[in-house]
Amino acid sequence: MLAIQILVDGFAISALYALGATGFTLIFGVSGVLNLSHGALMVTAAVAAWAASGELGLGSYAGAVVGILVCLITTFATYFFIVSPIERSRALPSEEKEIFVLTGTLLWGIMITEAIAYFFTSNAKTVLPVVNGVVDLFGVRTPSNEIFTSIVCWAVIGLLWLLVNRTRAGKAVLAASMNPRGVTLLGFDLSRIYITIWGIYGVLAGIAGVLLGMFLGVSSYSVGPLTASAFSIVVLGGLGSVSGSLIAAYVVGYLETVTAYLVSPAYRTIPALLLLVAVMYVRPQGLLGRRAR
Amino acid sequence: MMQRLAQSRLLWLTVIFLAAAVLLPLGGVSAYILGLLTAAYYFGVFAMSWDLLFGFAGEVNFGPTFLIGVGAYTGGILDNLYGPPIWLCLVAGAFAAVVAGLVLALPALRVRGPYFGLTTLVAVLMLQNFVVVFAGLTGGEIGLTVPDVISIDAGVNYYVALGFMVVSGVILFGLSRSPLGLILQASGQDPVQAGALGFNVAKHKLAAFCVSAFFSGLAGALLVFYLGTASVGTVVDVGVAVQVIIAVVLGGRRTILGAVLGAVFLIGMGEILRPIGELATFIVSAIALVVVLLFPNGFLGMLLRTKETS
Amino acid sequence: MSAAGDAPLLAVRGLQKRFGGLVAVKDIGFEVKGGEILGLIGPNGSGKSTVMKLIMGIERPNAGSVRIDGVDVAGWPSHRIARQGVGIVFQHSRPLRRQTVLENIKLALLPDSLLRLMADPAVESRARLIAERVGLGQVLDRRPPTLPFADLRRLELAKAIARDPKVVLVDEPFAGLTSSEVGAFSELIRAFRAEGRAVLLVDHNVKSVAALVDRVLAMYLGEPIAHGSADEVMRDPTVRRVYLGGTIGAAARPESSFTDQVPILQVRDLSVLYGKAQALQRVSLHVHEGEFVSVVGLNGAGKTTLFNAISGLVPYEGEIRWHDQGLRGLSAAAIARGGIVQCPETRELFGDMTVKENLDLGGQHLKPAESDEQRDWLYDLFPILKERQGQTARTLSGGEQQMLAIARALMMRPKLLILDEPTLGLAPVVLEQLSKALERLRATTSITVLLGEQNVTFALPHADRVYVLDHARIVWEGPPDRFQKEAGATYL
Repeated sequence: MLAIQILVDGFAISALYALGATGFTLIFGVSGVLNLSHGALMVTAAVAAWAASGELGLGSYAGAVVGILVCLITTFATYFFIVSPIERSRALPSEEKEIFVLTGTLLWGIMITEAIAYFFTSNAKTVLPVVNGVVDLFGVRTPSNEIFTSIVCWAVIGLLWLLVNRTRAGKAVLAASMNPRGVTLLGFDLSRIYITIWGIYGVLAGIAGVLLGMFLGVSSYSVGPLTASAFSIVVLGGLGSVSGSLIAAYVVGYLETVTAYLVSPAYRTIPALLLLVAVMYVRPQGLLGRRAR
Repeated sequence: MMQRLAQSRLLWLTVIFLAAAVLLPLGGVSAYILGLLTAAYYFGVFAMSWDLLFGFAGEVNFGPTFLIGVGAYTGGILDNLYGPPIWLCLVAGAFAAVVAGLVLALPALRVRGPYFGLTTLVAVLMLQNFVVVFAGLTGGEIGLTVPDVISIDAGVNYYVALGFMVVSGVILFGLSRSPLGLILQASGQDPVQAGALGFNVAKHKLAAFCVSAFFSGLAGALLVFYLGTASVGTVVDVGVAVQVIIAVVLGGRRTILGAVLGAVFLIGMGEILRPIGELATFIVSAIALVVVLLFPNGFLGMLLRTKETS
Repeated sequence: MSAAGDAPLLAVRGLQKRFGGLVAVKDIGFEVKGGEILGLIGPNGSGKSTVMKLIMGIERPNAGSVRIDGVDVAGWPSHRIARQGVGIVFQHSRPLRRQTVLENIKLALLPDSLLRLMADPAVESRARLIAERVGLGQVLDRRPPTLPFADLRRLELAKAIARDPKVVLVDEPFAGLTSSEVGAFSELIRAFRAEGRAVLLVDHNVKSVAALVDRVLAMYLGEPIAHGSADEVMRDPTVRRVYLGGTIGAAARPESSFTDQVPILQVRDLSVLYGKAQALQRVSLHVHEGEFVSVVGLNGAGKTTLFNAISGLVPYEGEIRWHDQGLRGLSAAAIARGGIVQCPETRELFGDMTVKENLDLGGQHLKPAESDEQRDWLYDLFPILKERQGQTARTLSGGEQQMLAIARALMMRPKLLILDEPTLGLAPVVLEQLSKALERLRATTSITVLLGEQNVTFALPHADRVYVLDHARIVWEGPPDRFQKEAGATYL
């Protein structure tokens, strides 16, 4: 029974991680940016959904939509006010742009976190779930919400895959991640591609955030660990590789779940971190990433 | 060089700042403010060490608090367990930090680009978790209390910190302007050229790591024996790491001395905004963000740059 | 330093280097004695720059030996090779931008020690002497971003002198210099020889270094093809064939046969600065609708810069008009959509996508039915692409990649196709296939083509008109049949 519970819970958590990490990896793969305000974006979505559905009484569906929209707006703000100005800056030599983007997005993330704590307190909040009730899954009583979470995550990931691999626009995005100059030569405006990517990222992070809020609840304290686990997953899977992040998300998700159940919830982040350290030493480019040279 | 030093704007600024710093306690400033500045001076050493590594060896260390934390906790734990004299704990802390620096540098230097920064960040997370897991030894999230402190007198603590900062600053600045500093800059800016000129780039970067680790660790240990406690929130947290980096960016990368300015500014701002309460962090972060976006060269950077182009 | 006549200071034997599937250097061997200057000549892609990097330790050879005064340094890290007595003057100046000229030279004089904490006055005075010698005495306290191009090159020479090497490697010594500067630099290089050092000059053009070198070794596709004095090599039939081509049949149409009122592409007084170097100087050319124009020039002449300016990828001065409308201010993507499609030297393929996917991306602006039609037509033009349509671009051979790059550009139904050095690094049999494809293209469509090439055998047969670009300037224009007579002599 315990084994099945671990399997089920682990699957849902990993699915959430996978959705969050996919967006993170997409941004890095195409524009080379590591967005350290990632956790803040997800929590923003959850808190907005909570406020809209609960406090403003809009109900769970509308609340979820509001959450995703707010996250999208915040994501675009991140791109237009922080990432893009730094990338275009003439004052910075190109080797230093990276650290400025990292520092800038981190600061932005801190600002968002503090604002959330200020306006909504740092208490944990659970978003009104869309799906209620409990279901018997292989002999284990599982909240329907959990199953709903897994299904939605994979549906969205599937949609994304279709978008990138089967539509013309998606292929252009994929090509841009391989060779930005190549797509320019073929008549695609890179700036439009970047805006599209960040938009997709905003939606992905928004959905992941709202689902997280429904499933486990969030608080302003969640921001740091969320960002940390997203980039652990992305590094493990290989920076820039979406399939790598998917696999790594499940590895990390299950490691955490197993540890939480069998050892203690307080230690659940340790095995993944140890794995990360090992990977840094042995294969720094992760599972499927581009060579770290 | 002595002549140029005498004419240098930088030198006069430093002298003025130091004079003010030395005279401050005599002017009847409260013990509270002295305490604040004491912490700021140690923070300044954290920042200067970081600038040596980044500004010169060109390595973006995203986890300076790994080195600081190792130094701080080693000193603190040693004192708790065996109670040796403070200076021994300090030495142990500095030594442990250097070893930690080597352990971090070896894999980190083998990789390029974002992977290096990520490796350093992972190190900080590892240390954080380590402290929490081995709470019996380290005091966990609550923190570690050490039985000995440097002094109870605010004035004494102030001058110890100031003295340490000045000595560290002189050494680090001197290094940056020495032939070794020149080689470090070449290693950071253009490793292929540095190799073609006969310099073992890996060796030099490793050395820079060790020097940075030494000063960071020592400052961390000193901070513990000043505060009387060590905790994740003061010496390990990623938030502290970010503040170190921001202090250097605010003050001016690659100036060493600017890092101190940035540290004092950050701590000062945090204090001035304290009455506002919860939004203090928000405002400080916002200011830092504005500086990062609009004035990436920092205070000293802007000051010195205008001198160059004229 | 050993005098000429002793054992060689630099002895290379059986040197080989592979990059994945590409063999950059096949089997190179040569010797240079102290007090000698050897010129290593070859077109782009011949492997000469790789040989230099292998000697300096910037790349590791797969096989072979490199002996510096008897010691085999092959495979050593570059700093050890440098300390063994090898100095290099890079083709592109790489000073430390935040340090002064004096500090840059002092750096080159420092030993590889961690304990150098005090400045040594001897180092300072020696640095000043070296600066005087190369002509930088007046700018010692200036920083590189404020210096002119020639002074940056002087700084590179100063660093090499400071190393006091037994062997000096110089990469493209005169690129970007005016004729008077060339004279001054030649003197400095001759001084190396007079001091008994062994000098290896690498360049793509025999003529520019002929006056300086004692011997020349010509390379092509990673192998040596001729060796001897500068004159002997210039007259060598294999070298002439590689550089100039054999008898060139031409099928040129006279300019008057093109009926457009105004040439669809007009370039007037185009000038481009790359950092400090003048990459293009008041270049003017024009192309008529349906014409095939070849721009011939050795690498470094400015062909790629010219094409990048037309495609909107670099800033420029002067005017570029397309269908009598200025192109300035349009983004590169907009220019590509407007009908000017470039197939660059680096090809810029999407390595992890299949052949078909690469082609489909080219056809993105067409309706799906049109895109499929265009793709089928290209499969007909390049049958090998049809065979390999499911393969990822990264796994294709060099020639197949080039064909894919051209086909992908053609998918956009360009009005003007710009081809930059399509024959780079390709084997002769592949050149045949490419040549045939271009012939068909020219015969069956009314496409306008602007081709940039250093390989004259390839560039001339299809061309209606030829421009010669040399050191940032157009030096000749005319039909291909007059090229050999009028421009060919100066070209080699």
